[in-house]
Amino acid sequence: MTALPIEDIQVNVLTDVPWITLVWNDPINLMAYVTYVFQTYFGYDKPKAEKLMLDVHEKGRAVVSTGSREEMERDVAAMHSYGLWATLQKDI
Amino acid sequence: MFESELDGGITISLEAAEREVLGQLFDQMRQLLHELNAQETSDPLEAMLGMNGSTQISDDPALARLFPNGYSDDEHASADFRRFTEQDLRQQKIAALSDVRENLNDHENPTTVSPQQAQSWLKAVNDLRLVLGTRMEITQESDFDFDSDEPEVNLYNYLTYLQGTLIDALS
Repeated sequence: MTALPIEDIQVNVLTDVPWITLVWNDPINLMAYVTYVFQTYFGYDKPKAEKLMLDVHEKGRAVVSTGSREEMERDVAAMHSYGLWATLQKDI
Repeated sequence: MFESELDGGITISLEAAEREVLGQLFDQMRQLLHELNAQETSDPLEAMLGMNGSTQISDDPALARLFPNGYSDDEHASADFRRFTEQDLRQQKIAALSDVRENLNDHENPTTVSPQQAQSWLKAVNDLRLVLGTRMEITQESDFDFDSDEPEVNLYNYLTYLQGTLIDALS
């Protein structure tokens, strides 16, 4: 095992800033549907999916996944394919 | 309505009138999807890879709801995201419409719905609710009168019911 050069570590810190996928509340999507999508796409168990759905419903939005920018773009595109209103942003 | 079988499969049973209404709605959805503009590109590879999506959100509120921005706070990133994903999303929606059409054309009751067709129904019916709901200007659940006897409200409530039976059958 070799030690990472200092430069590489710094680059990793900069690029590892996590991104988040947000799902926003909307008055049309059914609560049961949103829960089903969170279970099916993210593989969350029912209690977790329901809690996220309620967060969306009551707080207006919820963070449904965290990861690299590319991963979050994939998740947002998937949410859009289900008709959920989702966006990604840097986790600040 | 959708029902789950003992073996885990899903079936759909529809009255003739339901088949007709759903067929018309899915046809209108197909037309709406064709109104989504692709960006002019001279690069055939870009077009082939579906990278010729528009960079601007649609002026039509219903299309804007089906193809929303990917970023809430970054116009430039949203434009790029749209350019690379919008045409693919549109193709997925068109493919889902073809899947549900197969079941509609099979006039038997009940008709077996494959797992892929069930997912297509779920998304296609939800898209209809999104378009209809946007056109009806449903903005706050509490403000909208879902008990009204307007034809479009009846249609919306029917789609909600149909979607509910499918979610139950899948759960």
